[in-house]
Amino acid sequence: MRIPLQTGGPNMHSYYTDTPCTWCDGCGDYGIWTAMKRALVELGYHPWQILLCYDVGCHGNGADKTRAYTFHGLHGRVLPFAAGASLANPNVPVIAFGGDGASFSEGVGHMVHSVRSNYPMTFVLHNNANYGLTTGQASSLTWQDQPMNSSPNGIPERTLPSMDFIFSLEPTFVARGFSGNIEQMVRIFKTALQHRGFAYVDILQACPTYNHLATHDWLLSHVYDANSEGHDPSNFEEARRIAVDTTDRISTGILYQNEDIPSFYERLIPRQQRKTTAVEEVERTDVSELMKEFV
Amino acid sequence: MKRISLKVTGAQGQGVNSVGEICGKGLKHAGYCVFGYREYMSLIKGGHSGYQLDVSPEKLESSETTVDILVNFNHHGLMQNWQEVKKGGIILHQTPMWEFPSEQQKWLKDNDITVVYLPVEDILKKMKAPNILGNVLITSAVWTLLGQDDDVLKELVRKQFGHKGEEIVQMNFRCIDEGTAFIRDDSVQPLTLPAPDLKWANHMYLTGSEAMGLGIIHGGCRMYVGYPMTPSSPLLSYIADKQNETEMVIKQAEDEITAVQMMSGAMHMGTRAATGTSGGGFDLMTESLSLNGIIENPAVIVLAQRPGPATGLPTWTCQGDLLLAVGAAHGEFPRLVISVSDSQDSFDLMPEAFNYADEYQTPVIVLTDKHIAEALYTQVPYDVTKAEIRRGNLVTDPKKLAKLKSADRYDPTVKDGISPRWLPGTEADVYCAQGDEHDAEGNVDESASNAIAQMQKRMAKMTALHNALPEPDLIGDSNPDILLVCWGSTRSVVDDVLKSEEFAGASIAYLHYSFLWPLKTEKLLQLVSKAKKIVLIEGNYNGQLGKLIRQECGLNIEERILKYDGRPFFYDELHRALTPLLS
Repeated sequence: MRIPLQTGGPNMHSYYTDTPCTWCDGCGDYGIWTAMKRALVELGYHPWQILLCYDVGCHGNGADKTRAYTFHGLHGRVLPFAAGASLANPNVPVIAFGGDGASFSEGVGHMVHSVRSNYPMTFVLHNNANYGLTTGQASSLTWQDQPMNSSPNGIPERTLPSMDFIFSLEPTFVARGFSGNIEQMVRIFKTALQHRGFAYVDILQACPTYNHLATHDWLLSHVYDANSEGHDPSNFEEARRIAVDTTDRISTGILYQNEDIPSFYERLIPRQQRKTTAVEEVERTDVSELMKEFV
Repeated sequence: MKRISLKVTGAQGQGVNSVGEICGKGLKHAGYCVFGYREYMSLIKGGHSGYQLDVSPEKLESSETTVDILVNFNHHGLMQNWQEVKKGGIILHQTPMWEFPSEQQKWLKDNDITVVYLPVEDILKKMKAPNILGNVLITSAVWTLLGQDDDVLKELVRKQFGHKGEEIVQMNFRCIDEGTAFIRDDSVQPLTLPAPDLKWANHMYLTGSEAMGLGIIHGGCRMYVGYPMTPSSPLLSYIADKQNETEMVIKQAEDEITAVQMMSGAMHMGTRAATGTSGGGFDLMTESLSLNGIIENPAVIVLAQRPGPATGLPTWTCQGDLLLAVGAAHGEFPRLVISVSDSQDSFDLMPEAFNYADEYQTPVIVLTDKHIAEALYTQVPYDVTKAEIRRGNLVTDPKKLAKLKSADRYDPTVKDGISPRWLPGTEADVYCAQGDEHDAEGNVDESASNAIAQMQKRMAKMTALHNALPEPDLIGDSNPDILLVCWGSTRSVVDDVLKSEEFAGASIAYLHYSFLWPLKTEKLLQLVSKAKKIVLIEGNYNGQLGKLIRQECGLNIEERILKYDGRPFFYDELHRALTPLLS
């Protein structure tokens, strides 16, 4: 791994802000935050060249902890905002962050259509399997038997099999990381950011305050790097199998990638000959030709 | 003003719209101002729908409740609409063996109404023409009843079907000849239309939705995101259908929340984007409206009204969502509520909606309604050189960008609360577009002093906007004894009534509000101090503009003409309602 130190280019300090972090000690958000900054630095992006969009939740409190163009929106709604931004100006890399609560309950519809639309953007799931910021309620990704705030007997609903669900939508990029492995996350984020369409990145993270089952140590002892074991990310069936089956251990790394599918923007026929972006095109438009059919 | 009217009724899918449209366009070409009004039910096939044309050599933008010619595709129209025919009028139908019950026959006779049976099937069979040409046959019969010349109709048919080949065109022409001959042979006396005015021939004939679509495109909008919902769907359809010409980014979203969020994201990035919906969809958008308020993002949302609550009357009209637009979403933040009223301002006000959104960095809600959205107007071609593009305090110049500091973005000390805005991807100090209460840079700040400073900053924009907006338009006597107050689609019919002979010379005027929130009341109060009578006219139950006026300046307009039956105000209906004011 190489961190550019040349003058003029971006470095870790470029992304530094003196707004103090408010996450709990041992929160997985620190690792994800650090890895993302490092990935952006390694790709040579300046803070002004990118847009980071945050949902509402613990991770979202990081919106003002990274010096970049950032956005902090509504609970569950980060995906369509980020998608709209990416379509308006596809030259600016757009990364959306969301928690498991927002992304698989309140905003699950947006997830379905973002994967299906293959927007040219990256999504990072802060997956700590609970609603941390609202004091530890169960999310749809919380294990069923796990007692949580507001569900002392565990949730009656079955846990949503998020990876099986995502694979059923025929994604073009799926990766899974662990907030304790910064080096691997940097590799995943960099690949995701360079992906042609919608990159879905699930980061398993500890919630030291509310998730007493999937702790940092537990995750550490269960994850393995599938790519280093020879997994071929072009194999959809195998990717789905190792993503879904977490009985004994949990696969991480770049599980699936397909660069053959055009992004939503590339599919827009009227845009294919355009060299400019919608942002650059705002001007009074002559509608004389359009008026002719009404005369 | 002399006006005649014609109504085509039938089941949806039978061709009511195509006959209505070709007659509408034809009459315009012949030198008449045409106003097309469509009624239909929320279904695809069947039901009972109508397409009414009101016609005059002078400008008109309203419909009457009665017609000179009633055209019926099936017997439902004969059973339901027969009483809508004016004295001396004509009923044209194609239902074999139809006989009116004796009581109705007497009424028709007493009213000197001619009933014409056009044996469409027999004529087509004789011509060996396909059934689809029945519409052309009916159109030509109507055309002859209107006393119009074949040539205009044939020219239109060639324009519409020319690309299908000469054979098809000739078949259509033969149908026209047959329809014309039938009416002539039947010795039915055609209507006598007032003398035409050829200035209308080069006008456009288009819906309010098409007008609004043109205005949106003209105003520099480069992205439109919508989710289908009547009566906002025609706007989505029009803009989407033109994407190959305009090269805009179009997205049919999975729901209204997505639509409004995508529009917001695109606006934040710096383009001009819009979304459109109706009441229920707008309800879903409201949380996002609030978000745009606090991140100080320009947003443009078209709210096409139909009667609620819930699904209500999905294909009918009302003006029931004014207070929704004014009060929607949690928290206090500045917003602008505009309403269009016809095809002229549906075009003119859209670039302005974007301008105000950019200048005040806040949401703009544009109200329209089913009546405007789907009615057809005879419209002078738009001046495409007039609209301004004003982007307010948007910084794009590299030299100016270099001087910006993060804390400029939400600087609470700026004049009128309007701080500089700059775009992701431009080389400058960065900031957070923060949905939590934030300091000048967009960092979360929950202190009391900051909360006050930022609230005052945002609401200062509302004060500035209030000062910048024009007063409502006064049309008619500049010092009227009788003052009518209205907004939205009621304006057109009020205008038509006041132009009628009976109202000419009376000291009467109407005050029309295009900009509804923040509400200007100075001119109103001035007029009220002199007027003897003030009447509020609105298409809702509560008199919502009346409530806003009372809230803002204490004036309680007691005399009110309100309508909430899903129908627009009709010309003769409003004429009757306003006539007592003259005595």
